[in-house]
Amino acid sequence: MASSLIHKSTYEADNPLESSLIEAFRLLEPELRPPFPLTIRTEPEYFNLNRAILYGILSETHLVKVHLKHLHGIVTDGYCFFTNLVCKVVDELYSKLVENVKVQLLYVSLELVDVSAVGVDSLLVALLRQIRGGDLGESNLWLCSEMVNLLWGKWECLVEEQPMIISSALYVFLRVLSDHCRVCLNSKLKVLKQKEIEFCIRVFKDQFHLCLKIGRDLIRVLQDLVHVPEFHDLWKDLLSRSSDACQLYRSRTCSRYFLLRITPEMETHLRFLLTQVKLGSQTRYQIWFGRKFLNGPEKETVVIDIVRFICCAHHPSNDILLSNVIPRWIIVGWLLKCCTKNHIEANAKLALFYDWLFFEENVDNIMNIEPAILLMVNSVPKYIHMTHNLLEFLFLLVDHYDIDRKDLILKGVSSALDVLKRKGVIQSFDVLTCCDMLSPFLKERLVKMLSWKNVSGFNHLQPVFLA
Amino acid sequence: MQSLKEIMPAARNNINTRFIVLEKGRITLEGGENKTCLGLVADESASVHFQFWNEECEAFQPGDIVRLSNGIFSYNRSNHLVLRAGKRGKVDKVGEFTMAFVESPNMSEISWVPDPNNSGKYIQESIISPRSRIFPPMV
Repeated sequence: MASSLIHKSTYEADNPLESSLIEAFRLLEPELRPPFPLTIRTEPEYFNLNRAILYGILSETHLVKVHLKHLHGIVTDGYCFFTNLVCKVVDELYSKLVENVKVQLLYVSLELVDVSAVGVDSLLVALLRQIRGGDLGESNLWLCSEMVNLLWGKWECLVEEQPMIISSALYVFLRVLSDHCRVCLNSKLKVLKQKEIEFCIRVFKDQFHLCLKIGRDLIRVLQDLVHVPEFHDLWKDLLSRSSDACQLYRSRTCSRYFLLRITPEMETHLRFLLTQVKLGSQTRYQIWFGRKFLNGPEKETVVIDIVRFICCAHHPSNDILLSNVIPRWIIVGWLLKCCTKNHIEANAKLALFYDWLFFEENVDNIMNIEPAILLMVNSVPKYIHMTHNLLEFLFLLVDHYDIDRKDLILKGVSSALDVLKRKGVIQSFDVLTCCDMLSPFLKERLVKMLSWKNVSGFNHLQPVFLA
Repeated sequence: MQSLKEIMPAARNNINTRFIVLEKGRITLEGGENKTCLGLVADESASVHFQFWNEECEAFQPGDIVRLSNGIFSYNRSNHLVLRAGKRGKVDKVGEFTMAFVESPNMSEISWVPDPNNSGKYIQESIISPRSRIFPPMV
């Protein structure tokens, strides 16, 4: 009797992926024991044998070496199909897998790195995505530990063959370190935290060009770790080198980094919410999403990653924009209201405005800055405190985010405002500048900012606002 | 597979459908030993009251996508028109979250009368309420 790979409740339907592995194993079990038959296989037979061997590796701990030897012997496609299959298991089943199976899964992944399997980069990305932000549960910490050990152990080979994985892992570990450095530590977590720090520092010291690949969000996540002694000097050093800091600020972070901080399941739910759910019927979905992903101590830090994902990695099509599907700014507004801790709310607002600060029309995407302006404008008049809060925060960022590069930021925010108006995202800023409910101080600053570019000759087109 | 809008009361286990659980009511004991729980479930075409039975009551949560095989749509002991698995039917959780739904019409809030031209069948007589009176919509 083949055992189940996943935890399943009484009323849960069979999972098709798991079933396909079990079925292949049942069919081919006699062939999985040495001596292995030397028959030539058709493609479907080859695929099925791959499935059977994977099931064997995942469920028969005592025979894992035999199965791996078998796999190495039969492979004819550079492990492409097999690695893809492992990837699917990670994406679709990881959170449900029985603990032993997770151990086997990490074991076989390491083996696939060793043989430089085709597609092993996607597999490592899939595993990194399963590390959950804001989750200090044992199982999540175990995965962090396994992954940091794998990356450390295979450092040379990965730097050589999969440099993007090093950048990706750096982003992931900097982000989870902000969780791991915030709480009181037991000794196990202390050890893990130290390993994660060492890994990140090693990337900065040995492979700085791979840090630069991340772009501006590197600074955003690193900033959360300034209070950690190991990062303090590194941070000061980085910001003192103006060319590096500016280069980072000016390069937009690729959306795949934001996907790294969202599990595939969360991504599916969010994309469903933002493409299928009609405005007005979102309440239940929001409750379900919150119950599943946001409730629990420390869990809400993932809101920051979700805001970044929504702004930068989920850009709706024109059809969706013209339909009555719930717009992104409403979901962002809801997420901000979900934050119960001030530092998380502040970080979520930073995530929302981050691309405003360094906006350059030829590098940046207007869709990344659209949710923030629509949230501010559409919150007038009913949720004026939201508009007020966001506008105030934006000016706070302009003044204090990086005082050595205030001009760059001022320029970024001004171009952001200019583009939003020029491309018709909003018709006019009057709704803000003429709003009686907003404080005169905020309106004055906004007017100043809107006219700033005219003075400096930025905008040769029609002035957006004449003060 | 039927959509919920197509179901009509019958004394037979003949309904195969898929829906998402929107809400669950309180679990009560029926006849002193069997647990039952009324829920609001829906698909893209309609909603209906579903009666969970014994372990089903705890096994399903709002947001779960459920496949019902050989279910029955009929009056329960409290004279509510409900969908349920019944003795011969089966419910399975097949997913979560990713299913669109509407709450109106609610098939349990329709009064049905025997079809004069087709014995054993029912036809809709009138709409009692466009939405569930037990589980009001959430805004």
